[in-house]
Amino acid sequence: MRVSELIRTALRSLRANKKRSFLTIIGIMIGIAAVITILGIGDGITQTMYDKFGNNAKRGQQTTEIYYTPDNENSAVNGFNQQDLTNIDNQFGGEVRRVRIEHETANLNTHAEIGDTLKRTTVSLLNKPTTDVKMIAGHNLSAGQLATGEPVALMKESLAKKQYGTAQNAIGTTATVGSTSYRVVGVYRGQAEYSTDGDENKYGVDLLLPKKLYYQGDTASQGNTIKLTFDQGENAGRLSRKVEKYLKKNGSAASQGTYTYEDMEKALKQFSSQMSIITSFISLIAAISLFIAGIGVMNMMYISVSERTQEIGIRLAVGATPANIMMQFLIEAVVLTVTGGLLGFLGGAGLAHLIAPLLSHSIGSGIHIHAHITLNAFLLAFGTSAAVGLVFGILPARQAANKNLIDILR
Amino acid sequence: MIKLERINKYYRQGDHRFHVLHDISLNVDQGELVAIIGESGSGKSTLINIIGFLDDDFEGNYFYEGQPIHNYTRKQFSKLRNQNVGFVFQNFKLIREASVVENVALPLLYAGQRRSTIRGRVEAVLDQVGLHGYGDSLPQNMSGGQQQRVSIARAIVSHPHFLIADEPTGALDTETSQEIMNLFKELNQNEGTTIIMVTHDPKVAAQCDRIVKIIDGRVVSDSQEVRDAGK
Repeated sequence: MRVSELIRTALRSLRANKKRSFLTIIGIMIGIAAVITILGIGDGITQTMYDKFGNNAKRGQQTTEIYYTPDNENSAVNGFNQQDLTNIDNQFGGEVRRVRIEHETANLNTHAEIGDTLKRTTVSLLNKPTTDVKMIAGHNLSAGQLATGEPVALMKESLAKKQYGTAQNAIGTTATVGSTSYRVVGVYRGQAEYSTDGDENKYGVDLLLPKKLYYQGDTASQGNTIKLTFDQGENAGRLSRKVEKYLKKNGSAASQGTYTYEDMEKALKQFSSQMSIITSFISLIAAISLFIAGIGVMNMMYISVSERTQEIGIRLAVGATPANIMMQFLIEAVVLTVTGGLLGFLGGAGLAHLIAPLLSHSIGSGIHIHAHITLNAFLLAFGTSAAVGLVFGILPARQAANKNLIDILR
Repeated sequence: MIKLERINKYYRQGDHRFHVLHDISLNVDQGELVAIIGESGSGKSTLINIIGFLDDDFEGNYFYEGQPIHNYTRKQFSKLRNQNVGFVFQNFKLIREASVVENVALPLLYAGQRRSTIRGRVEAVLDQVGLHGYGDSLPQNMSGGQQQRVSIARAIVSHPHFLIADEPTGALDTETSQEIMNLFKELNQNEGTTIIMVTHDPKVAAQCDRIVKIIDGRVVSDSQEVRDAGK
């Protein structure tokens, strides 16, 4: 008999017993849906962590950062100067593609003299005019002022009021950061220090200054953070540790502080291996549920075989070979489980997409977890369900094929 | 065409072994219409199952068109059944959930033919047994006579060399029985189909060319031998 006919026959007998087929499918469906949901969310979490903290390997290159902490908190010493960069270049030029001093532009902690008081101040730097702040008094920084690096500044409303009484009064005053005095030209409405998704808000600071002026002269060629860029495929973590070690010995300010490389990638690997332990543990439970569902399939197939003894006899009498009969029942079992598997895949994918936002909401702090359903997950669902059908269908199908024709017809 | 030599058949039931057929020897030629009669339990159904390749568990020799089929495997028996013999049973043996066309097409499908190529043949056979237009009906909604016609259509759809009928009229009333018998005779006379049937209805047996009587697993009379002896 042609395979297409065997499939057609199998489908017809499954349709003839809709309720029972449906119930059997549900068992498989739940098992597969559980696996897919867990895999989807687990992969999603791992993916999110890598995107957020990883070496950005996706963009064709990887970057890491090494930062410097002076032993004395108030010391003005910088951990990196141009000489350090040249040294690193000479030492690791083959492996490190580029090294440069990272100039932070958002939420810098520094000291500023406002009016006549020196106080801790948070500062963000601007390259081009922003529309993200709402001006209350004065005017915004213009493109021209930012491009030429004029000593102008914007002040937060609450700071202006505290210092000068009203926002209007603050206009024209000076704020001195480092060695530069900035003229306050505008006051903007204060914003929360953290954005709704938990990141630091660049515009929640006390002062907004032109970046061009802030990093000039010495400060432009010095800094406390360097950014290393690697080609994709390099072991960025290992190389960065080597650079760190080198700096600890030879860095320009090695005697006054420490150079640190935080290997996020390593932590991430640990994290993802922990995730995979959890995932495989839950998958084990899911596998048990699939096993139980498989026994359900077997049970149903045995019932089906004994109910349809007459049909088997008729088919054998008109020329079906035992192999034909076995294939028919095996296909029935596989169709059942694969249908369950595909429905379970859809259900699991939907559930993962539903749960992921809830999860990111409950974690908060700006972590967006997106369910990540891969082709592998699909193949897993398809393969597992087909395998369950084959494994648990083979015994009933063999029983059907080995029935004695004469006993049936008598 | 069919040549049985000293066929013996046993049924095992627990520790007991019933000797059902004793040294049966029988020849059937192409084109014959044979009735096998006997009491119930005489072994006539067992005999016909062996003749129709349904039962491969017997002792003795069975030559079908010269082939020693007593040596065949189970799979070979399947093929033999599919290509050489059509079956008509007392209780019709139709698949209840499948339409008439599906039922009739089964032997052709198991022979590996495509659904599209056999449609015409199935229609023709249904016309032949007087069931034109019943193709999409379900057997469970049909009368006994109609169901037996479906089963005859299924038996002859693949142009078998002979038909085996086990009490084909056993579940039918007198009038319907006669209709079915007329159909058999028509097939036998017009198409030369060999038919071997088991019956205990004397009226049915009387319409056959040859009557073989079996008692307790032994052939006690064969009208052909009587005729041959009289010649």
